[in-house]
Amino acid sequence: MLEKLLYQGLIGLSFSMYLWLLSAGLTLAFGVLGVLNFAHGSLFMLGAYASFTFYGKLGLNFWLSIGLSLASVGIVGAILEGLFFRRIYDLDLPYQLILTFGFILIFDDLVKMIWGGVAMIPPMPRFFEGNLIVFDRPFPIYNLFIIFAGLAVALILWLVLEKTWWGRMIRASATDREMAGAIGINIPTLFTTVFVFSAMLAAVGGALGTPVRVVAPGIGTAMIVQAFVITVIGGLGNLKGAFVGALIVGILTSFGILLFPVFELFIIFVVMAIVLLVRPEGLFGK
Amino acid sequence: MGDQQNLVLYLFGPIIPVFQCSDPPKDHWSLLIDFMKLRIVFFAALILFLLLLPAFAGKYLLYMSIHILLLSVFALGFNLLLGYTGLLSFGQAGFFAVGAYASAKILLLVPSLLLGIMAGVVAAGIAALILGYLCVRHTRIYFSMLTLSFGMMIYSLAWKWRDVTGGDDGLVGIPRAAFEIPGIFRISMSEMGSYYYFVLVISLIAIFMLYRIVNSPFGLTLKGIRDSENRVAFAGISIRKYRLISFTIAGLYAGLAGSFLPPLENTVTPPIAHWTHSAEPVLVTLLGGIHTFAGPIVGAMLFYVIKDIIVRFTQYWLIWFGSIVVLLVLLFRGGVVIFITEKIWPLLKRKQGDRT
Amino acid sequence: MAKKMTRRRFLKGAVIGGVALGTGLGGYRVTYGQAKKAAGPIKIGGQGAISGAHADYGWQMMAGSTLAMEEINARGGVLKRKLELKFMDEELKPATAVKNVRYLATEWGANFLFGVDSSGSAMAIGPVLPEVDRLHFFTHAATHRLTEELVAQKGIKQIFRMVAPVYQDALAAWVFKDTPEIKRWAGINCDYEYGYVAWNLFKENMKRFRPDVEFVAAAWAPFWTMDFSSHIAAVMAEKPDAIFSTPWAGEGVMLLRQALMLGVFDKIQAWWQGMGGSVDLLEGISREVAADKFKGKLWATARYIHNYPVTPENKAFVAAFRKRWGKFPNYSAEASYSAIYAIKAGVEKAKSLETAKVGAALEGVELKTPAGIRLIRKEDHQAIYTVPAGKVIQSPDYPLPVLGDLRIIPAKEYFRHPPFTPVAATK
Repeated sequence: MLEKLLYQGLIGLSFSMYLWLLSAGLTLAFGVLGVLNFAHGSLFMLGAYASFTFYGKLGLNFWLSIGLSLASVGIVGAILEGLFFRRIYDLDLPYQLILTFGFILIFDDLVKMIWGGVAMIPPMPRFFEGNLIVFDRPFPIYNLFIIFAGLAVALILWLVLEKTWWGRMIRASATDREMAGAIGINIPTLFTTVFVFSAMLAAVGGALGTPVRVVAPGIGTAMIVQAFVITVIGGLGNLKGAFVGALIVGILTSFGILLFPVFELFIIFVVMAIVLLVRPEGLFGK
Repeated sequence: MGDQQNLVLYLFGPIIPVFQCSDPPKDHWSLLIDFMKLRIVFFAALILFLLLLPAFAGKYLLYMSIHILLLSVFALGFNLLLGYTGLLSFGQAGFFAVGAYASAKILLLVPSLLLGIMAGVVAAGIAALILGYLCVRHTRIYFSMLTLSFGMMIYSLAWKWRDVTGGDDGLVGIPRAAFEIPGIFRISMSEMGSYYYFVLVISLIAIFMLYRIVNSPFGLTLKGIRDSENRVAFAGISIRKYRLISFTIAGLYAGLAGSFLPPLENTVTPPIAHWTHSAEPVLVTLLGGIHTFAGPIVGAMLFYVIKDIIVRFTQYWLIWFGSIVVLLVLLFRGGVVIFITEKIWPLLKRKQGDRT
Repeated sequence: MAKKMTRRRFLKGAVIGGVALGTGLGGYRVTYGQAKKAAGPIKIGGQGAISGAHADYGWQMMAGSTLAMEEINARGGVLKRKLELKFMDEELKPATAVKNVRYLATEWGANFLFGVDSSGSAMAIGPVLPEVDRLHFFTHAATHRLTEELVAQKGIKQIFRMVAPVYQDALAAWVFKDTPEIKRWAGINCDYEYGYVAWNLFKENMKRFRPDVEFVAAAWAPFWTMDFSSHIAAVMAEKPDAIFSTPWAGEGVMLLRQALMLGVFDKIQAWWQGMGGSVDLLEGISREVAADKFKGKLWATARYIHNYPVTPENKAFVAAFRKRWGKFPNYSAEASYSAIYAIKAGVEKAKSLETAKVGAALEGVELKTPAGIRLIRKEDHQAIYTVPAGKVIQSPDYPLPVLGDLRIIPAKEYFRHPPFTPVAATK
């Protein structure tokens, strides 16, 4: 029984990493820009479509494709920020949510116009095929890779935010935007770079998911509410919290499927509500 | 306590006609006075138009008009929370669904339209009172996220509690029962036109009541809380209690809108509780304008007309609708109503002035 | 700072509301009301999911019905009148589906309706049909309740279903009843009615044939599941001999690919993929089939497969479809194609467009369609035709995998028959 639970937990851990990659950018953008971006899921979807096109259609190298899809979604992010998002930072919450909601609709149709409505199935890179034996059962190498990729992104984020000049500027403006402006930080440029960075984080999640998933319109919308739950559990704008939140939701979902398959959807919202009621600033909020 | 008594008095006290003019605006509002003079004509025309609609409208238009009324009631209640209390709920679809399922359950048991509607309103009100008690502890995004989570819990209940809700297939075969008080009168609702009148009359009453509420001392206090929480708190008023009442009223209106649905469609299914449905009142309220009482009504109408026209011409309706939403936020932030009264109307008046 | 809300603003708003309502709705009525009066073509309105992850199913319906319309019009139409088609997005939302039906029937002026992917939408539409008084030919929605409850019990005669319902998924019980080495079954199913009913029907029948069989585990996946690893791991923990699964379209592809990664096909003897015979799913796993990764253990059926039956009608249909659209037809395409021909047959037999007459004319008739002879059963208006199950294989005759090693069990055996007893729709 213990082995069964551990194995299920390991599967849940790899699922958590997808959730973490999706939530990281969402919570980062909220922390710095103050915008809760509904369309973050759409950027995740664009990342998946881009990597499908480069890797599955054009047959480029897997790693190169991931890099290219990061770059393309980054460009989309820069355009989005420059033309639209920067105009809504000072608006009330409902306008922000509705504008980003509008982009969900636009992107869902846009990808259908470009790639068609059929679900796309990209191939799996040869070197990821096969599996290891864990607890007497096969565990895919790809899932192992996802776990490492998620941890690596977490480490990189930590290094960037804590150890670089750019990271310090981000943290300064997340704490006090006006003060940061006063000490000479170029806030508009910084915000653009942060938004692009958050879009690229979404794209990593989308791109890494492609070999084992399908790419279809609406895959982002399906995941965005889960990302909201994670961001809230961890504390809005808190990266460490988002990481732990993703672990909680991913592993809870995985155990839920094994142990109490009836109410797993219900449970994550109960967790979210309890956290909000007891500690609205989230598990890791100040 | 005092203000709540006032609220009751205000609601059921002598009914002052809505059309009665308030203080005439001074010089710089003179443009608006002209505008105001026309209002009675327009009001009469509007009511007449709505009453005569079944005479010349086809079934589909009546059906859509019922949907517009329903969404108007839904969004008006929502705007009591957003526009007047300053709280953005992202879980109103949950109360809409509670109203719809409760009314459907009753209609399946007892074929009485009135009982069904009442059950829906009461059930949604109770749900809003209980969940509101928890939700109003927070404001801003925390309030929005809390309402989102409760809304989604109701959604998962609707999906999973198959014995009661019918699961994903929902409740089917709900009758559009007659509107009757046994022994007094009975009006059959089998014609779309009769049901339209039923929804129209109840909606007008509900809209009128809400109008009284927002202009009562209670409504003014809400606005006070919205604009300056501390000042009101210093005046010794329990802010939470006011927010809770506002939340409950919004829930009652969502429940009323929801309970109109099962007799119209004969079915209720879980998607009506999903968060994407909660986005609808947000959208139409912003479309019409948060800071006008009638904003949500205008927004609801535009929402259906725009969507219905777009889907006739293209299968890519999402992209068009999304673009309209984006333009709305960037260009017409005050909503269509304010855009017309403050931009278009003065422009027209000036042109007219030039000519004479 | 927020602007004040005054009575004045309310009044202004209301006035504008009135103007907008007057011009908007009034104008709208004038523009769209007129089209209805012109009598000419026979109008057929359809709907299906043409947005979202299942968008291909709606597209296939549109493609199949358009092909039938073009063929019929080229040969002079029906009762010398041309056919006209309009297809709308159902969004897999019952509310939208009902709105579409009302729009198509009462505003656009459709004489007949067809389509619909989701079972929830079908159940919501059913009760509205007597009110709008139109026949509706369902070409995908699989819930048995549509025909068993709404037609056979409640007597809604406007419903016809051209496609095989959830009975088809339970065919697994007939295919595997003579495989004594498979004793432990596990299920990975859709977390909605279709999944529950398919799994229960399968268990019910299997238990009847083989009392020794055990059902050891079940996992449930809601709509939009992207990662099935947890579901697969949960059922594999019970070491089943075979797996019965229902996720369809892109979700089915994901499930199978993730099962391969988790080494499932090394451990089990058979995998039954209910709607695995649909073209989009076969296309999605074609690389893996070509590399024989499923080791010949993947079994499937569908509500029609393009390589059965081997008749001139089917060959002609598949060829015409490929020529027109450059793709193979799936079952929703074939059912929609046949629905248009059923309308033709009904109208020609009744010599009328009236709902009641055409409906009565179609009861009990046998139609020659690409999927074989369809018998429209009188009691529940369900089309009865046989679709075989088979092993997913690579064939030199087709560019994508097909079902081979076909097991043909007559539909009469595995379809349910009136009078109907309820099926448990719980987990």
